[in-house]
Amino acid sequence: MTFQIQAEFSEETDLQKTKHGKDLNRFLFRLGVMVLCVLAVATTGFLLSPYAPNSPDFLNRLSPPSEAHWLGTDQLGRDIATRLLYGGIWSLGLAFLITFVGAVMGTMIGLVAGHFGRAADVVLMRMTDSFFAFPELIAAVTIAGVLGPSTANMVFALILVGWMKFARLVRSLSIDLVHRDFVVQARLNGLPSTLILWRHILPNIGPSLLVLWTNAWSRSILSISGLSFLGFGVQPPNAEWGAMLLDGKAYMQTAPYLMIFPGAAILLCVLAINLAGDRLRDLLGGNSVGTGK
Amino acid sequence: MLRVENLGVRIHGETILDAISFCVQQGQTLCIAGESGSGKSSLLRALNGLLPAEFGSLAFHPKSSEPTELEGRWRGVRGLPGSRWVMQDPIAALNPKLPLGVSIGESVFSKNLSATELNDAVSDALSEVELLPELAVRRPSEVSMGQAQRACLARALVARPDLIFFDEPLSALDAIVQKQVAATMRRIQMRYGTTFIIVTHDLGFAATYADHVLVLRNGKIEANQSAGNFFRSPESRYCEELILAARELGGLPEVVPAKQGPGEARSC
Amino acid sequence: MLTSSLRVAPFLFALFRRLLSLFCVLFGVSLITFAMTYFAPGDKAEAIAHARYPDVQAFPPEILEGIREEFSLNEPFFVQFFRWLFRFVQGDFGNSFASNTPVWDIFVGNVTETLSLTTTALLIGLLAAFALSSVAVWRPGSHFDRAAVALASIGAAMPNYWLGLLLILLFAAHLNWLPAYGTGSPQHLVLPAITLAFWITASQTRLLRAFFLEAKSAPFVETLRLRGVSESEIFWRHILRHAAIPALTMIGLDIASLLEGTVIVELTFARGGIGSLLAGSVLSRDYPMILFLVMFSALVYVFINSLIELLQDALDPRISFLKPPKHDRSYEARS
Repeated sequence: MTFQIQAEFSEETDLQKTKHGKDLNRFLFRLGVMVLCVLAVATTGFLLSPYAPNSPDFLNRLSPPSEAHWLGTDQLGRDIATRLLYGGIWSLGLAFLITFVGAVMGTMIGLVAGHFGRAADVVLMRMTDSFFAFPELIAAVTIAGVLGPSTANMVFALILVGWMKFARLVRSLSIDLVHRDFVVQARLNGLPSTLILWRHILPNIGPSLLVLWTNAWSRSILSISGLSFLGFGVQPPNAEWGAMLLDGKAYMQTAPYLMIFPGAAILLCVLAINLAGDRLRDLLGGNSVGTGK
Repeated sequence: MLRVENLGVRIHGETILDAISFCVQQGQTLCIAGESGSGKSSLLRALNGLLPAEFGSLAFHPKSSEPTELEGRWRGVRGLPGSRWVMQDPIAALNPKLPLGVSIGESVFSKNLSATELNDAVSDALSEVELLPELAVRRPSEVSMGQAQRACLARALVARPDLIFFDEPLSALDAIVQKQVAATMRRIQMRYGTTFIIVTHDLGFAATYADHVLVLRNGKIEANQSAGNFFRSPESRYCEELILAARELGGLPEVVPAKQGPGEARSC
Repeated sequence: MLTSSLRVAPFLFALFRRLLSLFCVLFGVSLITFAMTYFAPGDKAEAIAHARYPDVQAFPPEILEGIREEFSLNEPFFVQFFRWLFRFVQGDFGNSFASNTPVWDIFVGNVTETLSLTTTALLIGLLAAFALSSVAVWRPGSHFDRAAVALASIGAAMPNYWLGLLLILLFAAHLNWLPAYGTGSPQHLVLPAITLAFWITASQTRLLRAFFLEAKSAPFVETLRLRGVSESEIFWRHILRHAAIPALTMIGLDIASLLEGTVIVELTFARGGIGSLLAGSVLSRDYPMILFLVMFSALVYVFINSLIELLQDALDPRISFLKPPKHDRSYEARS
């Protein structure tokens, strides 16, 4: 009670309230810079490297880490460090693409289900549940395998099995929001539903969507590498991290660095994104209403 | 100007409101009192078309907008034209992602004002409720509860409505701020002659501000009297107890002061 | 307020609604599964012919046409779908293209491998998670607690195929303690089970730790403490019982990850089982096998989760059949 009386008269408490927002902004800024840096390294890092990712050098096969090859070379004499940098484009970029398309699809389906009447809701949600019933990787292996192992088919398969969590989240959040007082006010004030959706629903779903999306992104990296490792994803000689692991598996005893570095790259990347996502969720507050699955 | 007759609302076969009839004159204040769950808020929702009315009729004749007349089953009306609604929790009633000014401006969305006209209208409304126009760029999380409730009041005012519904407008605020906001409400009513329909459970508030009192209990009308009559000789036993309880708690003075204001208690 | 007769009707209604939606989901699942194989590119008749006569390179059109007739591949989609579904419901899963033996027999031959792997992993994972989290919350913020949190974070980010390879490298190649590949002895089970259990441990530790922490400061625990109940009794008798519900929910979600994990682990360790069977049949386009295995994994997931939902209702008095869902305001006007 006393706090509110203070709030009415003192500017300081107001500032305190915004401090949280500033924290968040600073964090988002840092996160953005970090992501940009990683993307810059992943996309232009190979320019710094004197080697090409896919050109073999048979004189230097399976050489251990040295000054010339920081992380060693693989069975065809290709520089592992260079290939790891290239692999970043594949793993991070493809996962970004997949989750982005999935998020857009899921958001649209969730909004339609939440706003366009009972029939649409029932049909779309049963459809979502049906898709949800397939373990992601099993469905992806089947689709990618039946269509023929290739990068494009893997991307298609992962998009097909990845949109449901977004649909569920968006639906439940938007149904919750529609009954919030400020949306009721907007409706009473005669705002058209599209504007309500755009101005009142979407911005308030955004933070939760972002948290879910970081989660999906890191999971997608694991899926891509996993599928490639099983031979259903990115095909050799492309330097995807999972595909590199598959290469390295055969030389595990003689040249373990072939499989250690790509795996470590996956682990670190996923870990970093997960931690960023956790921090993001903490900062955005405990208003995460159900995360789909 | 607002006349409701025999209104009934049923949800999932359960009767929420039954045979509600009352009317309000221009410039008067009607307080709707009752314990929680008595149907006060449901009545407000039904009047604004958020709950389907099972039967009954409604006639609303504002000075400056088209009249609304509804009968039988009605639902899905987007509010009554010429009326606005100020809700209980100002933080919930404002989009946390929008600056206050935009939220306030939405109230006159249908008037298609130009950007400068809209800006002026919002600034005027803000100063009307004793807020600095600079507050228009702040978000709800960056203002105090009192400021937020004033912004909600400004959102109602900017449309120059003839009728404003209030749903427990002060209960989210602490005592000092309550007093200030109530004073602002009173001033606005004096100036524009706006009709107020205020849902409250605070009889002390009703005693000070109401011209007319409507008491609900279990969805039925328990009393429908002018304020003076209500506090002197309530219509039912239940109301007597209600008044007595409020007196014992000290929220209600022994002698209810006569209300000063434009609207003399007239029967209708 | 509520008489017993009032209780039964909503319960039955809720059960009926749940069953109806379960039925819809099962139908959707089979439709999607069938569509996956139906719309696959390539001539299915040729795939069957190749499987049947492995030595022959090219087939005359008459033979392919005969196969199409035999498997009714010329019929429209929905005719084929309902014919397949009808047989599937009756328990007739067809013969594998590759070996021409019933799909069911091959499945039964492989399922024990997977079951022993998953149950061992689940057991190890849950026990480890329980031990870790209960010790970690004893002193929140201690070194052990931090280590448990770190382990949980790493476990969630760990690609399990890589973990498998690392374990092979250490325990099989370098230390020579355990066999790396294949199946047979219980020793063969150790590394795959640990690989699979790691993920479960990580996710469950995280969840249980958060839950225990919350429970430790819950009002009802404070009351018990004030009453003089000892810390250990509070934990074992009161908190633990409440931990069952979130743990149960999480296990339901983990089933999908467990099924996914088996595919990867079985292939990494070159074990037999459902996962490697699926990968093999996908590569050889053995459609009856694929259809059955994908349906199987989806059905397992759906049924276990329905079961868990029912259990939750039974365990948690707050989740009641009688209460309408939290945001069910369907009676309000939709915009």
